[in-house]
Amino acid sequence: MTAGTRPGKLPTDPALPTRRTFVATTTGTAVGAIMVAGHSAAAAGAAAEVPATRVSLTVNGTRRTATIDNRTSLLDLLREHFGLTGSKKGCDAGACGACTVLIDGRRVNACLTLAVRLEGADVTTIEGLADGNELHALQQAFIDQDAFQCGYCTPGQIVSGAACIEEGHTGSPEEIREWMSGNVCRCGCYPKIVRAVQQAAGGK
Amino acid sequence: MSPQPQAAVGAPLSRVDGRLKVTGEARYAAEHDVDGAAHAVLVDASIGRGRITAVDTRAALAHPGVLRVLHHGNAPRLPYRANSGSNNPPGRRLRVLQDDLVRFHGQPVAVVIATTLEAAQHGARLVKVRYDAEQPSTDLAEGEPGKPETYARGDAEAALRDAAVRLDLSYRLARNHHNPMEPHATIARWDGGSLTVWDKTQWVVGTQQELAAVFGLAKDAVRVISPFVGGGFGSGLRCWPHTVAAALAARVAERPVKVVLSRRQMYAGTGFRPAYDYRLRLGSDRRGRLKGAIHAIDGETSSYETFTEGIMTAGQTLYSLAAVRQAYRTVSLDVNTPVWMRGPGFASASFVLETAMDELADRLGLDPIELRRRNEPDEDESNGHRFSTRRLRECCTVGAREFGWESRPLQPRSRREGDWLIGMGMAAGVYDPGRMPAKARARLDADGTAVVEAASSDMGPGTYTAQTQVAADALGLTMRTVTFRLGDSLYPPTPAHGGSMTMASVGSAVLDACDQIRRQAIELAVADRESPLHGADAEDVVVRAGRLHLRSDSARGETYRSLLGRNDRAHLSADGSYAGPPDSERLTVHAYNATFAEVAVDATLGLVRVRRMLGVYDAGRIISSKLAESQAIGGMVGGIGTALMEHTITDHRDGRIVNANLADYLVPVNADVPEVKALYLEGNDPDADPLGVKGLGEVVQVGVAPAIANAVFNATGRRVRELPITIEALLQN
Repeated sequence: MTAGTRPGKLPTDPALPTRRTFVATTTGTAVGAIMVAGHSAAAAGAAAEVPATRVSLTVNGTRRTATIDNRTSLLDLLREHFGLTGSKKGCDAGACGACTVLIDGRRVNACLTLAVRLEGADVTTIEGLADGNELHALQQAFIDQDAFQCGYCTPGQIVSGAACIEEGHTGSPEEIREWMSGNVCRCGCYPKIVRAVQQAAGGK
Repeated sequence: MSPQPQAAVGAPLSRVDGRLKVTGEARYAAEHDVDGAAHAVLVDASIGRGRITAVDTRAALAHPGVLRVLHHGNAPRLPYRANSGSNNPPGRRLRVLQDDLVRFHGQPVAVVIATTLEAAQHGARLVKVRYDAEQPSTDLAEGEPGKPETYARGDAEAALRDAAVRLDLSYRLARNHHNPMEPHATIARWDGGSLTVWDKTQWVVGTQQELAAVFGLAKDAVRVISPFVGGGFGSGLRCWPHTVAAALAARVAERPVKVVLSRRQMYAGTGFRPAYDYRLRLGSDRRGRLKGAIHAIDGETSSYETFTEGIMTAGQTLYSLAAVRQAYRTVSLDVNTPVWMRGPGFASASFVLETAMDELADRLGLDPIELRRRNEPDEDESNGHRFSTRRLRECCTVGAREFGWESRPLQPRSRREGDWLIGMGMAAGVYDPGRMPAKARARLDADGTAVVEAASSDMGPGTYTAQTQVAADALGLTMRTVTFRLGDSLYPPTPAHGGSMTMASVGSAVLDACDQIRRQAIELAVADRESPLHGADAEDVVVRAGRLHLRSDSARGETYRSLLGRNDRAHLSADGSYAGPPDSERLTVHAYNATFAEVAVDATLGLVRVRRMLGVYDAGRIISSKLAESQAIGGMVGGIGTALMEHTITDHRDGRIVNANLADYLVPVNADVPEVKALYLEGNDPDADPLGVKGLGEVVQVGVAPAIANAVFNATGRRVRELPITIEALLQN
């Protein structure tokens, strides 16, 4: 049984594909081209035939531009290209919620979202929730309530829970359970996840 | 040595690695940043048995970014030295890409190495493998059983013949997959003749030993690193083929290689809790005293290895029984080899034993708790050993009181709320926790902080936190000044992180190392003319928050810092060990629980909803109360899955697992889990091990499925002897 995640509003204006594969650029405070790990110059030459697209999106407040293989999911873009491994791959099929991120404020399974669709999108991952050293209220609540064990589903749970609170779906434990059921926790921390969401919601 | 004050042990502390986990900074196997790593994807067999006749790699190799395609025809031959360790069961282990035989559907038959994940995934789909396929045998009921493992005491046939009440019950238990949230993954890197792997494993030492055997290396030439494990429940107890494939691919590609199993590949690529056909005949007198039991157990194994688990123990020790006979047979099938899964053997046996006890109680008109009380043994009747501690009765009593057992409907199918039939059930649980030799080392630095290391794992129970608690108290330091490190084969060796043995085994070694350091410091102080403790009786010195002082006069003392600084000691260090239980031990150390469930069953639709659960545990001393509660809740949630949802389904026509994903293999989600409560009996088992613990991870899932099944019977009057309990089973006429 799954519920509680749905695709976010996505831009409909696709950027033009380019042949400049495997070079991701970051703009913002630091500007420059970086080679993505694992792609030697020789390999880049061989792979130049793969359809690729240049995409600019904001991730955790930083504008990033990358030329990416059109087959790349947002999850793989984050994990394999941007080094943001906080978003987890649990099933790669939208069934577990471990990859939950916010796109324009709405929770989305990053594994089911092709990165090329995200021109201009604003993406928030677990790495973007804390304010500097100060944890998001739900991150702190997860620690306080011991709402995790192995920790692998935890980033997805927390991103999902933060959105659940914003959405106003925290009126009762039953409502939280329903709206948090798109995130599987195999360690079985559900009762504590509900308590953590309640704590962070503060009666909202 | 003077007993140390306890500040950390037993306290409800938060996880020491909590911040890393809630910020996404904790690095799991596939997330280590290894320079220049290529991606590899396994191609798995699309037949259930037979031979590979051809592998066409042209299309894959032509795909941009694909570097190499490995298969049995071009892969280097590997030594595969014998290795009876590493949790390898008896048999001949699967040799990755070493021959043309297909032993099960999903067996890796090729590996595609590419510069990007996308290219490797796409390339894997372009490899064309041709087979000479044979009909696989994957149905437990149809397979040929092997020679049984047997047990007998008394004359069970005669006891059953003479019993006033007899039950003859047949059960079928579905295969379950662990499905940890983190898929299994390995990054392998060669540096000359040395191999480093970042791996998802519950046993870095076991994986190190197996990789050394497979590649013909000295053990020291292999390093296994695994600081965070995203769940395991047993799936990480062996070194699986994909880990060998990653190392093989890295050697051929001459660069680091990362392999991440897909969720689908996890089903044939790791292990599983085997399916069982189980017949139990049970006899008692009219007052409910058990007289005899005969168990006939058939469980799955693969064609190439014989996997067995502790499914016989509970039937020998849980209740007093003069006559028991057991036969446990493995059935060789064209499947991958099973592996232990949470509460291995015991959880499966408990479903049979504990629903049978419920049937017997119903037949006799006895309260199920009273029936269990009447069969309480005075000793372990399988060997005459004394129980170290056995507080099952207390678990039942406390549980009955806390759960409101007195409100249980006495007649099945007698309570209804609208569409819902309401019922309550309970079951007892037992587990035989492991205690194995382990080592640890500790170092106290001159700045008053300490580092403790052991090659253990933390798949979620909180090894980092609990070991830090043990070390902090033994050293007399605060939690914040102690760092515990694990998950690296360079650290002192430990047993596998499974079988509920980590706290007893690794914890006792950590305790030993830290006790030694404290003793060294105290001896240094009492012999040091400049120390305020000079001349004091070492037995009278304790350490608290990094300060040594007299127990009888806390004003007289000094800090580790001043002591080590003045004596010009950069650090104190010690190697600790735990030898395991003595061979001469005539003691049975078991953990127990009583689990209670209330369910609602839709009278028309057969839908089962768990309403509330309670588990009460006799697990010895509890080191980390907050984390122990999480473990128990998790065990009950896992048991809800086993009871009502989890079932790996194989299409016997070709041996393919048809629901190898998290949409069709159902596991509990938040909406399936209402109020779940855990209570630990306060206690200590000093005979068990130096820490007095009995382990938690397994016992918390034992007895859960039968408690739910018994509640379903109480709600509906319908006895289901199959797992999972499905809507279909409840709707059948």
